[in-house]
Amino acid sequence: MLAYLARRIVFGAAVLLGTSLITFSIAFLIPADPAVAMAGAKANPQTLAMIRHQLGLDQPVYIQYAHYLDRALHGDLGRSYIRRESVTHLIVSRFPATAILALSAMALALMLGIAMGLVAAAWRGRALDNVLLVGSLAMVSMPIFWLGTMLLIAVAAVSRTFPLGGYSGFKSLILPTVTLALGSAGYYSRVLHANLSQALDQDYIRAARGKGLSNARVLMKHAMANAMLPLVTLAGLDLASMLSGVVLTETVFNWPGIGRLAFEAVFNLDIPLIMGTVLFSAFLIVIANLLVDILYVWLDPRIRLGEMG
Amino acid sequence: MKRRAGTMELVGGAMVLSLLAVALFAPWLAPHNPIRAVAPTFGNPAPPSWAFPMGTDELGRDVLSRVIYGARISLTVGVAAMAITMTIGVAIGLVAGFFGGKVDFALMRFTDVMLTLPGLLLAMAFVSVLRPSLLSILLVIGIVSWTGVARVVRAESLSMAQRDFVLAARALGASSPRLIIRHVLPNVMPIIIVMAALGTSGTLLLDASLSFLGLGVPPPTPSWGRMIEQATMYFRVAPWLATFPGLAIFYAVLAFNLLGYGVLRRRSM
Amino acid sequence: MKRARSRHARRSGVGAAIWMLAAAAMLLAVSGCSREGDGLGLPKGSSVLRLADADDVPTLDPAVGYDTLSWSFEQEIFDTLVRYGDADIELHPDIALSWQSSPDATVFTFHLRKDARFSNGHPVTARDFRYEIERVLSPATRSKGIEYFRSIAGAGDFIAGRTRHVAGIIIPDPYTLVFHLTAPDPLFAHKLAVPFAAAVPRDAVERWGRDFSRHVVGSGPFMLKQWIGGERIVLVKNPWYFVKGLPRIDAIVDQIGVGPELGWLKFEAGQIDILGGIPPAEFPYVMRTPRLRRLTLSQTTISTMYLGMNCQMAPFNDVRVRRAFNYAVNKQKLIAVLNGRGVVARGVMPPNLPGYDPNLRGYAYDPARARRLLEEAKIGPDFHPTLWLRADPTTVILAESIQQDLELVGIHLDLKPVAWGPLLEAIRQPRNVELFLSGWEADFPDPENFLGVLLSKQQWGGNNDTFYSNPRVDELLAQAAPMTNLKKRYALYDQAEKIIVADAPWVFLFHPVSYVIRQPWVHGLVLNPMRPTRFERVWLSPHHE
Repeated sequence: MLAYLARRIVFGAAVLLGTSLITFSIAFLIPADPAVAMAGAKANPQTLAMIRHQLGLDQPVYIQYAHYLDRALHGDLGRSYIRRESVTHLIVSRFPATAILALSAMALALMLGIAMGLVAAAWRGRALDNVLLVGSLAMVSMPIFWLGTMLLIAVAAVSRTFPLGGYSGFKSLILPTVTLALGSAGYYSRVLHANLSQALDQDYIRAARGKGLSNARVLMKHAMANAMLPLVTLAGLDLASMLSGVVLTETVFNWPGIGRLAFEAVFNLDIPLIMGTVLFSAFLIVIANLLVDILYVWLDPRIRLGEMG
Repeated sequence: MKRRAGTMELVGGAMVLSLLAVALFAPWLAPHNPIRAVAPTFGNPAPPSWAFPMGTDELGRDVLSRVIYGARISLTVGVAAMAITMTIGVAIGLVAGFFGGKVDFALMRFTDVMLTLPGLLLAMAFVSVLRPSLLSILLVIGIVSWTGVARVVRAESLSMAQRDFVLAARALGASSPRLIIRHVLPNVMPIIIVMAALGTSGTLLLDASLSFLGLGVPPPTPSWGRMIEQATMYFRVAPWLATFPGLAIFYAVLAFNLLGYGVLRRRSM
Repeated sequence: MKRARSRHARRSGVGAAIWMLAAAAMLLAVSGCSREGDGLGLPKGSSVLRLADADDVPTLDPAVGYDTLSWSFEQEIFDTLVRYGDADIELHPDIALSWQSSPDATVFTFHLRKDARFSNGHPVTARDFRYEIERVLSPATRSKGIEYFRSIAGAGDFIAGRTRHVAGIIIPDPYTLVFHLTAPDPLFAHKLAVPFAAAVPRDAVERWGRDFSRHVVGSGPFMLKQWIGGERIVLVKNPWYFVKGLPRIDAIVDQIGVGPELGWLKFEAGQIDILGGIPPAEFPYVMRTPRLRRLTLSQTTISTMYLGMNCQMAPFNDVRVRRAFNYAVNKQKLIAVLNGRGVVARGVMPPNLPGYDPNLRGYAYDPARARRLLEEAKIGPDFHPTLWLRADPTTVILAESIQQDLELVGIHLDLKPVAWGPLLEAIRQPRNVELFLSGWEADFPDPENFLGVLLSKQQWGGNNDTFYSNPRVDELLAQAAPMTNLKKRYALYDQAEKIIVADAPWVFLFHPVSYVIRQPWVHGLVLNPMRPTRFERVWLSPHHE
């Protein structure tokens, strides 16, 4: 089992290395001149040349990459061209806002998704199942930024004091949370429903039913257990990607998280900041993958026994 | 059970057809030119009325006509980007699954790396570097969304490559490309079709998101996402500006989702 | 047995995970709430000015900041030798009590006041100004302000690292500062009124290094108390400030992450004292409502928005086409789209720039005439020029309005919205971008800052992005630049502007008007046409919060 985990960790590190290489090549291929981005509208060519030298942009690519990697391993993702601040610091300072939003949205999405999925499975094949099916598809199909805007319109029509954006305590968290959670909830309810249906058709469940166990009991006790694992995997990865910034929701609600930071970075072509946010996101996803793997080992005896090397 | 699944994809299919019809016949359906000012409502959008059922925007344009013409660009991008996504994904998935071994390992590790990259962010970065245009948006959406397709197709073709009839064909000396095209591809086709329908809803949303962030196909081409972006400034005094294009996106995405899930359900049952 | 146990573990594990998530979210939200509370450590009854901004301040380091938001805070925290008045664009003493220039405008001498201190108690001397200018010039700082001081004698050697100090900056005693220039520059004193030339204490910069921006120390009326990225910035009164009795308020709290819409709601709820950006959608309502209208202040900015036409690229090398574009664009409509927040431009210079020529006629909206000119120039319906612009929503709407206008004279305009950096880069390449939307804000109140910087041949590849050149204009500009007699100086610039307007390298669009709304209890607030608003003279009468 330890060997398995070690392998997963090495694998994760390798993926991150690949990610850094891709991120770096993108940044390198960007035809925009960072010196112009830095020096602004009124600079002359001498200044630009000077800045290029300062940034080390006149060095060979592989040396630039080696430097980049070396610094990144020490937690230094460089300095933002526009803000001149440490990228690591910027990301860390924006992380709490994103984390609150991601966690609350994930909690809501899971509760709502599981509830919908369970109810739909319990009433399998009946009208309510159909309604929930179409409802969950509708939730998945709704553009997040539109849902957010519609919520804003609705709330603005009713209340003049309810916070319509920004990050100012519990109330301001409600709208972005709902916006972000609804799509995921719809998706989770679909996944759960599909897994439950599959489980309900398994022989041992039929056997349990045959023994006279009630529908709800079978559902909760037997089918649920098998249906949850894929959902947890999915939610884990989703949470990781939410934690790395939710560009659309944060844009609609002026939420000062990593997503806004990333959006600003792209808009200004602030290359170190773009690379930083992308790498950070990849890092979270690799970590989440690792955690999910560990969870599997812990929950699934077959892996523990080394069958799935 | 089967009949219900059929309803879903029928409804979805009908919705998709209606979208195609609107896009195709936009010049006849739209009451006005979508770009010209038809009412002097500059800086002061007008609410829905008999003359303009969806109102007019801050440049005096008819919102209904813009929503109708918006179907053209959204469907074009959605479907074409899906085609690119599928092409890349299917090619990588087939090759990896069919050959296995080192080829499979290399391609799948590359896919793993791509999967860790944040799609929307990457698309934003690419588009802003390449500058927004129809072509750049299609390519970028394709580049960031093929990974899921590749994984599924690989899994299917992996099992396919071990089937007797493929092994037999190979023993008879059939070349690899021939094998892939003649034997493996047709057998993974059903899942590809499902993924294409679901993929279109994904590309539609991604395109709308990019437009909303100001990185869509440049104006005056009316695009639903961009209409919402511009409407956010007016959302309190002119909510109709954001409502209608949003409903249009919702309708289109839902159409493809219904279609895709419908087929998928029937297949898995 | 094993299966059963593992199944049980799964279920409770999942449930626990969900509840942990929910609990964590609640906890974080609650902690977010409590942080929102006062906690500024200000004595009860302090008068606090509450502002709001959508985005975080990019920087507070005066060697780095080159945008309105950064400058608005920098000018509260730092002092310069000379400064503009709260509402005017004349130079007034700041740290310098008096100053002289040599008759040929090559030597400038400043006499400093002796009672100015940094907020850490250290006195402000001539060295602190030299230190900051040298910091701006030093390549390691990568400052955008470098062009301001390149004309000081010895700047080139200093930049190249050949000297320790800039030879042309001389400090005869700690309270006298002399600048020697390489060429006459009657505007030089204005260049010392930008935050790039602020007094900055060396010890603080050296202590914090590149993080000085987060720990700034200056001698201005306010000092930085707290800056939580993306959340808020708090400035408090600097007890050492040399003007007794100023500032009149105790603190400024700027909430960050408050977009225009939310800002408006907060303003209406009395939670914000001054609101800079009235959302476009609310603006007509504010203007219609007398109670609100009375609370607004407006000021025409010293800036010009224009559509540049590349004079080296066909068909824009034909003056008839350029004039046709001027007649074709409906500027009134642009201003209507902006809810009236602009003044139609008739030429390059904005109306409140010294030297502005009120008799300039410019181009009226006349699509028929535009069509005739285009016919004469043999522009057919297959002409599809591309307009480059910055990809922000307001600019895009303006561009779409222009697109509509041109459609009416038979020209189909393509739009190319791009990010700021790439736009600048693209328009600087010769024969690369035929049309672009741009704007220019004055750095100094002088025609040179518009005509010389934007339309002289010298600035090709620099700021003259239309690649316009007219030898007669260049001659006039060269004649006017060193001239210290203002009347003659302005006459020469007016002559040059007339030729430029006739040559029409731009479609002269409009001069933006900025609006601010403040609560009835805010007093002493005035707007400056060229610089961000200052707050040290603002005071608040009693009000409920």
